[in-house]
Amino acid sequence: MLILSTLARSDALHGFEFAEAIQLASSDVLHLEEGSPYPALQRMLIKSWISGTWGRTAENGRARYYRLTPAGQRQFNREVADYTTVSAAIVRILRPA
Amino acid sequence: MFLVRRDRMAADLEDEMRLHVALRAESLQRAGVPEGEARVAARRRFGNRTTIQQESHDMWGMIGIEQLAQDVRFAMRGLTRRPAFTAVAVLSLAIGIGATTALFSATNALLFRPLPYAAPDELMKVTLVKPPRGDRPADDQSVWSYPKFLTFRAAQRVFSELALYGPDRFRVTSGEVESIGAESVSATYLRTLGIAPALGNDFDRELDTQFGVPGVAVLSYDYWVRRFNRDSLVIGKTIDLNRDPFVIIGVTPPGFRGLTGQADIFVPITVQPATRLTAQSHSFWLVARRAAGVATPLATAEVKRLGVVVNDAHPNDWDKAKWGAASEPLDNARVAPLVKRSVLVLFAAVALVLLITCANVANLLLGRARARQREMAIRFAMGANRTRVARLLLTEGLLLALLGGAGGVLVAWFGVRALASVNPATTLRVGQSGAVGAIAMSSISLDWVALGFAFGVALVIGAAFGLAPAIGVTHSSLADALKTGSSEAKRGAGRTLAGRRVLVIAEFALALVLLAGSGLMIRSLGKLLAVDTGFDGRDVLTVRLSVAGDTVKRESVPPLFTDVLERIAALPGVADASLNNCPPLGGACNSTNIRFLNRSEVDIANSPSVGVDWASPTWFATMHIPLKRGRIFSAADRAGTQQVVVVNEAAVRKFWPNEDPIGKHIELGMGGLKDAEVIGIVGDVRRRADSAATAGVYAPVYQSPFTDMTVFVRATVDPASLGGAVRRAIHAVAPSSVVSDMRPMRDRAADATARARFSAVLLTLFAFTALLLAAIGVYGVMSLAVATRTREIGIRIALGASGAHVQRLIVGEGAALVAIGGAVGVAGALATTRVLRALLFDLSPFDPGTYAGVVAVVAGAALVAIWIPARRASRVDPLAATRAD
Repeated sequence: MLILSTLARSDALHGFEFAEAIQLASSDVLHLEEGSPYPALQRMLIKSWISGTWGRTAENGRARYYRLTPAGQRQFNREVADYTTVSAAIVRILRPA
Repeated sequence: MFLVRRDRMAADLEDEMRLHVALRAESLQRAGVPEGEARVAARRRFGNRTTIQQESHDMWGMIGIEQLAQDVRFAMRGLTRRPAFTAVAVLSLAIGIGATTALFSATNALLFRPLPYAAPDELMKVTLVKPPRGDRPADDQSVWSYPKFLTFRAAQRVFSELALYGPDRFRVTSGEVESIGAESVSATYLRTLGIAPALGNDFDRELDTQFGVPGVAVLSYDYWVRRFNRDSLVIGKTIDLNRDPFVIIGVTPPGFRGLTGQADIFVPITVQPATRLTAQSHSFWLVARRAAGVATPLATAEVKRLGVVVNDAHPNDWDKAKWGAASEPLDNARVAPLVKRSVLVLFAAVALVLLITCANVANLLLGRARARQREMAIRFAMGANRTRVARLLLTEGLLLALLGGAGGVLVAWFGVRALASVNPATTLRVGQSGAVGAIAMSSISLDWVALGFAFGVALVIGAAFGLAPAIGVTHSSLADALKTGSSEAKRGAGRTLAGRRVLVIAEFALALVLLAGSGLMIRSLGKLLAVDTGFDGRDVLTVRLSVAGDTVKRESVPPLFTDVLERIAALPGVADASLNNCPPLGGACNSTNIRFLNRSEVDIANSPSVGVDWASPTWFATMHIPLKRGRIFSAADRAGTQQVVVVNEAAVRKFWPNEDPIGKHIELGMGGLKDAEVIGIVGDVRRRADSAATAGVYAPVYQSPFTDMTVFVRATVDPASLGGAVRRAIHAVAPSSVVSDMRPMRDRAADATARARFSAVLLTLFAFTALLLAAIGVYGVMSLAVATRTREIGIRIALGASGAHVQRLIVGEGAALVAIGGAVGVAGALATTRVLRALLFDLSPFDPGTYAGVVAVVAGAALVAIWIPARRASRVDPLAATRAD
């Protein structure tokens, strides 16, 4: 979900930019190993929730740029909805009776 | 394919990770960290690359399975969206695969699978050899007598076990009365075959020399289940056969019904009446197991030598002919040649149907792929993965094939049960040939090999037909697909259409070959059923009557018979009753030599042979057999008066072609008729449905008593209803006689044609399935042709062509296809139906009437299949057509 939301906000990111974006967005709270999103990216790539196009970075390096697909957008919306429902339920349980 | 992709994906990922680490190192450097440290830090922050590769690999694996599930779901949805197409394809595949598998099982069991006995290649069939006599050639398939068997057994050294067996029928007289099949066997029968009883014990080895002791019996497994409900306490119980008690000592394992295939119970030979156990009473077959280390040629040579020994020990007392012995592996004797041929023909027929089925499914799938080509092209343009789409199509094809295969297993299961339940004794005339094929028939079951075969076929079909359109589709480009007017698209469509046309031609050709075969079989059957059998058996009930030969004196037999017949004739519903020892259409019974006393002296042993039957005076009237000349014997012709006989027309043609037989005197080699006068000529009566009557002589049973007769009762009511009354009448007069095998004459007649009917029915079923499939095929092709040419048709109509004209155009195209298919089919049929020659009765395999009929049927079916799309073509609205794509 986090990956999808990050991609939803931006146009196209390659792996490195992606890691930076997550760090930024979570205000440095979430410190994943930088390589950890990659398997998830692979999975979403195969499921066609994101699309990957090989292109050139500013420094002329070969990088794969990821974009959210329409199917990915739908999946993201679904996941957000589910998460909201679940978290609301948890909050209700935790609230003193 | 998948592996290559994985490697590429791994390489891509590696590149990405390397770039990431490089960029991190750069950013660290920009922040002031020295180069070496920056690189190390970057690698550390990234994490373990190998682990990441590993995790990604796992992802791909999981995805693979998820995608497979998704593919299957999509494929199912695709199939259910077009229920008609799916139903037709699955149904035709199911029938094709199922029928092929069932017959494959049968063929395997009958012809190929080793016989279901221990070390079957050690088993041999040993026969006696009758030398040629008179006009009859040598017979090397002759049966044994009990004393000769004992002599053979004592003298031989090459067989470890040997046994005698012969078919029989008994009437169970304890508890529920029924008639059951049986085998009379020597003590080591089961041991020779390597069969151990499933329950209880085998016969004692010493049984062969014990006569007159209380009888023992071994049940067949099926009979034990049927009559005794698997009672485990059945051992020791008694069952009465023909009023004699037999103690049950064992039960055979399941699936075994003796080498004759019809035995519910096995009894020792020694309980046979003494008359059947004499040296010249030949009624049994011999099966032997070669000893270890003895090769077949050695055994064969030894058997030949022993034949002389046996003959010397039991010479014929009235001719000096030297009998011999011969042997062959039991496997060679497993199926009568005619049965083998029938089965192979059926199998070929079924394989042809399967071929047609595949052609049809191929046609259907190609048509669908063509129709979806535009849809596919657009999908590709929108970014869909080509491989993924191809995989989807492949999955659809495989799914279709698997569904068809599953349906095929169902069809095969029922088919196999039907085949296994066919009563071999009647359908295959086992009794006549002693063919071992009977046991194999009852052991037909759904082979696992056959199942594997069926599914293998299904998978190959599915893959091929799913892939073909997939390949074609993934190579097309969007522009081509959208521009239906483009020459490239037209050429593509044309190619597919041409392919489908060829398929349709092939289908019709194959269907025609099958129909020709079935048409011939049906006509042959018709001729068989219409043949003049020489008698009228409607409303006649028959029952075998055996007067106990050793307890009733010969002189008292005639009065006994007279009493029985009078009693029966007096019953209400009975018009007439009489006797004959040999029911018509039941095969040959007895034959002997005939010597003409007015001609020059010829030794009776070298005289020609003739069939001989014993009859009571009114038998010819009972069976409506015409008297041609002279008179029939009457009650006045009895013991003590001049012996008389009646001959049939075939005998007249054979022995007295240019003279009048009436008044001539003859001598017969059997029945004590040393000087009998021919007093009458009667019409021919067939012994077999498919061959003309042979020369026969009828001896009066009152002058030449015969103890094993069949009673013929002509009824004014339904003959089957008289069963109980007739039985009671007989037992009132002759309580110790054995009454068995009570059947209406029409049932016996039906048995005679059973095999022909069986084959004809099966073959016709296949032929019509083939025709249906071919018709569906041509319908599909023509529909497609009309659909792709809608615009052209619309233009034609707009330019003034009438609906009828367009219709004729389409019909003409379809008819051309069918005509070519038909021509190829006729040529093929002419080439292949010659294998049916042996199975046809009074019909040439090239019978023009049949071919004409078959062509008409095919043409008719094709015309209907073509007319529907043709009518659609004639209704095309020109405006809509030109606007449509």
